[in-house]
Amino acid sequence: MSSDVRFTDFKSDKQPTWCPGCGDFGTMNGMMKALANTGNDPDNTFVVAGIGCSGKIGTYMHSYALHGVHGRALPVGTGVKMARPDIEVMVAGGDGDGYSIGAGHFVHAVRRNVDMTYVVMDNRIYGLTKGQASPTSRSDFETSTTPEGPKQPPVNPLALALASGASFIAQSFSSDAMRHAEIIEEAIEHDGFGFVNVFSPCVTFNDVDTYDYFRDNLVDLQDEDHDPNDYEAAKGVILDSDKEYQGVMYQNENSVPYHEEHGVTEDMSEIPDGAPDDAMDLVREFY
Amino acid sequence: MGGKAQHNMAEDLNWAVGGEAGDGIDSTGKIFAQALSRAGRHVFTSKDFASRIRGGYTSYKIRTSVEQVQSVVDRLDILVALTQRTIDENLDELHEGSAIIYDGERSWEAEIPDEMTAVDVPLKSLAEEAGGAIMRNIVALGAACEITGFDVEYLDEALEKRFGGKGSKIVENNKEAARVGQEYVRENYDLDHLGYNIETTDSDYVLLNGNEAIGMGALAAGCRFYAGYPITPATSIMEYLTGRIDDYGGHVVQAEDELSAINMALGAARSGARSMTATSGAGIDLMTETFGLVATSETPLVITDVQRSGPSTGMPTKQEQGDLNMALYGGHGEVPRFVVAPTSITECFWKTVEAFNLAEKYQTPVFLVSDLAMSVTEQTFPPEAFDMDEVEIDRGKLVDDDEVDEWLDAQGHFRAHAVTEDGVSPRAIPGTTDAAHMSTGLEHDELGRRTEEEDERVHQVDKRYRKVETAREQEDWDYREFGNADAENLIISWGSNEGALVEALEYLEDDGIDVRVISVPYIYPRPDLTEEIEAAADTIVVECNATGQFADVIERDVLTRVKRINKYTGVRFKADELADAITEKLTEEVPA
Repeated sequence: MSSDVRFTDFKSDKQPTWCPGCGDFGTMNGMMKALANTGNDPDNTFVVAGIGCSGKIGTYMHSYALHGVHGRALPVGTGVKMARPDIEVMVAGGDGDGYSIGAGHFVHAVRRNVDMTYVVMDNRIYGLTKGQASPTSRSDFETSTTPEGPKQPPVNPLALALASGASFIAQSFSSDAMRHAEIIEEAIEHDGFGFVNVFSPCVTFNDVDTYDYFRDNLVDLQDEDHDPNDYEAAKGVILDSDKEYQGVMYQNENSVPYHEEHGVTEDMSEIPDGAPDDAMDLVREFY
Repeated sequence: MGGKAQHNMAEDLNWAVGGEAGDGIDSTGKIFAQALSRAGRHVFTSKDFASRIRGGYTSYKIRTSVEQVQSVVDRLDILVALTQRTIDENLDELHEGSAIIYDGERSWEAEIPDEMTAVDVPLKSLAEEAGGAIMRNIVALGAACEITGFDVEYLDEALEKRFGGKGSKIVENNKEAARVGQEYVRENYDLDHLGYNIETTDSDYVLLNGNEAIGMGALAAGCRFYAGYPITPATSIMEYLTGRIDDYGGHVVQAEDELSAINMALGAARSGARSMTATSGAGIDLMTETFGLVATSETPLVITDVQRSGPSTGMPTKQEQGDLNMALYGGHGEVPRFVVAPTSITECFWKTVEAFNLAEKYQTPVFLVSDLAMSVTEQTFPPEAFDMDEVEIDRGKLVDDDEVDEWLDAQGHFRAHAVTEDGVSPRAIPGTTDAAHMSTGLEHDELGRRTEEEDERVHQVDKRYRKVETAREQEDWDYREFGNADAENLIISWGSNEGALVEALEYLEDDGIDVRVISVPYIYPRPDLTEEIEAAADTIVVECNATGQFADVIERDVLTRVKRINKYTGVRFKADELADAITEKLTEEVPA
């Protein structure tokens, strides 16, 4: 089936309720294209979605999916993948889901290096609750709950990932459709935790980090002679707060995904119809 | 002081070792318990420990008899005291026939009441002679063997089991240490075994605690995924499964917190694995966040709560049955669920197996509610008590590729939350062809897609609760019964109090008091006890909490008042103590 899968097979017949022009349309299209291009089909794909505008993605895509509790999408994806290494797992959420309420899980999912893809739709704002500061909002970004701005530096998710021992760190822009899909595709093909922070502008509540802003300021690492296997170079790009980059910042060539490191390779859904044959040995251990 | 000594019907021996945390109290006690088990004797152990790595009083008590023992009692016959506090802490349980083994060469001056037998054994010096001071507790075990006339050779197998991994020299030294202790008492004291006759039998028993039984039950039931975050007293389930579950292709993952643990377990269950998490105390509070999602996404998940003393950090190493309301009602909104509370260590095994079947048959969260007392108590059983041939697996409406068609709507969508007569929908796991679907914590339609449409909402709420009603009709929700079924007074208990109650019956019988005991393992759904309570003159509900959470539930079910016995000291009920409390309660007026 997989050879003739088209990206539209990953589209559900539910019409998105995102605002017209929302960056999440482009983010989702790129995810679907990347899944199709990497030989996946809806029956072997599991999408885990967080809470927020971005979390609605599970409804608009067609695959096995779970739309869960705010901030806990990565743990769900981790469980899905560990139990079924044969399933392609893609976790998608927003900057609030991933870097605020779920920040603890982000750090540990990164270092656990489970072979799945994490797409964060970063619009630097809380959209679904109508415009409050997010962990990636600029320190002077005025919102209903931060009238003078958060007055705290934004989280640098890429640096957080690097410090947590990430094996794949990338960033894309939802409006640059081709590059975005390519970058997601690289994350899927990476052996380990493929993390992509996607600039996915909110056209309703963020008048600072707009399409125009990213178009004018984005630097594509493809044009910069950047070597993602060079840790020091990656560090330089990730910590450079003067520019907005697109591309794969870092990829550890020697990444060993969790299932290989821990020998978790079985399909755990298959069990016998009674206790295991040698189960009385478990009892006899207690002699 | 040993007020119930005259009740010693089972010819039991009550033995304890106590000292500072870090003194090896636990392993010393376990070795003696295993030795008694190897001698074909039943044992029941209890531990008293503080939540510290080192420092603080800790003890390990063993009650042993040739007959099955299910409780500790307020009586201590032989005490190995490594500190004065060990003696002081146990004064009310020691009696004039008690013997206390201590090391007179140590810096503390043992103050031992005159009427007791003080057995001064230079534990440290003798251990050094045998090869190292570290073996002083083993010297004490040898001394205890001599005092009671228990053959020291029974210790050998337990020592091999404990120290085998450290090489034969260590094992031999320990065996020697035991014999040195035995010899010392034999040569320096003329105790004539204090009148004890430690009978042995040919029976082969296994010795395990409630958490090990839960872990073993999970493996028997096909559990393949466990995620947890270490917390006393639930951690030993995780430790049991680690390594062993891998033999069956499963995996244990230590999550970054309980929020993550339950969501990982949920993810694995969505993948089709039989999956479990376990926690205690504040851990279950964190997991509460996800209870509703498990229920609305209709994910089969076993959530184990090994209750400890709360609220907040409470007394983390102490007993309590304080989470009943949390298990019944935890989570915002209305969350359909099953709540099962094993009443004994063997039941920890069987109810775990049952919990996995209930979870998959009804695609509903199952709360397996145990407690600290059961988790640290080791008890002997014949191995047949865990007959693996009796384990049945029922995976419910799990559909394969061929069965998907009948569950598709006109547009070819899989109806993962189909509204059915029994409330149970088909379950398709990832990889099943043409059954890709979403599930969500949002209210949804049959396809799992968000809806706020009134009819859809009502259909989904009703179908989720209909699963519980179906289960109520189709499954057994029986109680366990002890004592005299025709007695006019009724005692009701839930969870781990069963053993102490069963033994309390003997004390009550001695005093001419006849009672019927109902031990309830199912909290939701639960058996209807209306008839039983209406037939009784007095009903007393026994539980380890302050407010009587189960008593409240029973009163509401039956619309009548009950008497209550509550204990919230952090220590489980003892058989003789319960007998006294019941006797007293029966003389009280029924509450208005």
